[in-house]
Amino acid sequence: MQQDIKQTWFFQQSPGEVWEYLTKPELIEQWLMKTDFQPIAGHKFRFTFNAKPGTTYEGVVHCEVLEIKPFTKLSYSWKGGTQDKSRSFDSTVVWTLVPKNNGTELQLQHNGFTLLEDVLAHTSGWTSLGKKLEGLLIAVQK
Amino acid sequence: MRAQTLDAFQVIADPGRRQMLMMLSKNSMTINAIAENFDMSRPAVSKHIKIMYNAGFISITDIGRERHCVLKQDGFNELQDFINYFDKFWTSKLSKLQSILNDKSKQ
Repeated sequence: MQQDIKQTWFFQQSPGEVWEYLTKPELIEQWLMKTDFQPIAGHKFRFTFNAKPGTTYEGVVHCEVLEIKPFTKLSYSWKGGTQDKSRSFDSTVVWTLVPKNNGTELQLQHNGFTLLEDVLAHTSGWTSLGKKLEGLLIAVQK
Repeated sequence: MRAQTLDAFQVIADPGRRQMLMMLSKNSMTINAIAENFDMSRPAVSKHIKIMYNAGFISITDIGRERHCVLKQDGFNELQDFINYFDKFWTSKLSKLQSILNDKSKQ
């Protein structure tokens, strides 16, 4: 079981340029969603999108800027839920920019989901349990 | 006892319940055996068990007078669904960002 989301992307642009696409609402909107983001720690903002009827998630994500270090690091909370209110999530998105090879390595971590860390000791539990069962079944077949 | 229905993330938000799940990941246990490990009343433990049961994290089997709790995958699958959903979500958004930036550098 995967416990959180980690992605690494490389861009030819400088950290300064990539940073703009993470922090300027008119640029964020081009690739992510409409937002009233402001680069100020503690600022509460939202991402919104047109949730089509029948789709799972609500058309809004509620966020708060948690940490901001210009051109280096940005994190915000990421809360929302499904349209039918049956499921909700309270997570954190962390962006890290690392200058590399005349460009920028952009790392994304989405782990709200952090609460899972404790439980995930359990993952190995599942795997070994599954394996055990599999072993037993094979033994039975023989 | 009536227990609320909580979503998967709310279930694991509670440290006590996380600990119960971890104990159950090693072995199935009776509610009494679980309760012995916690400094809370038996009804309080039962309520947590009920919450985890309602959210699909455990199943309960009556054997004689004992109620045995066994871990169930459904609740964990729900957590995994969220993670998979957002993993794909970010892949598609970031590839869009990449194509925007690529187009920009060509201009």
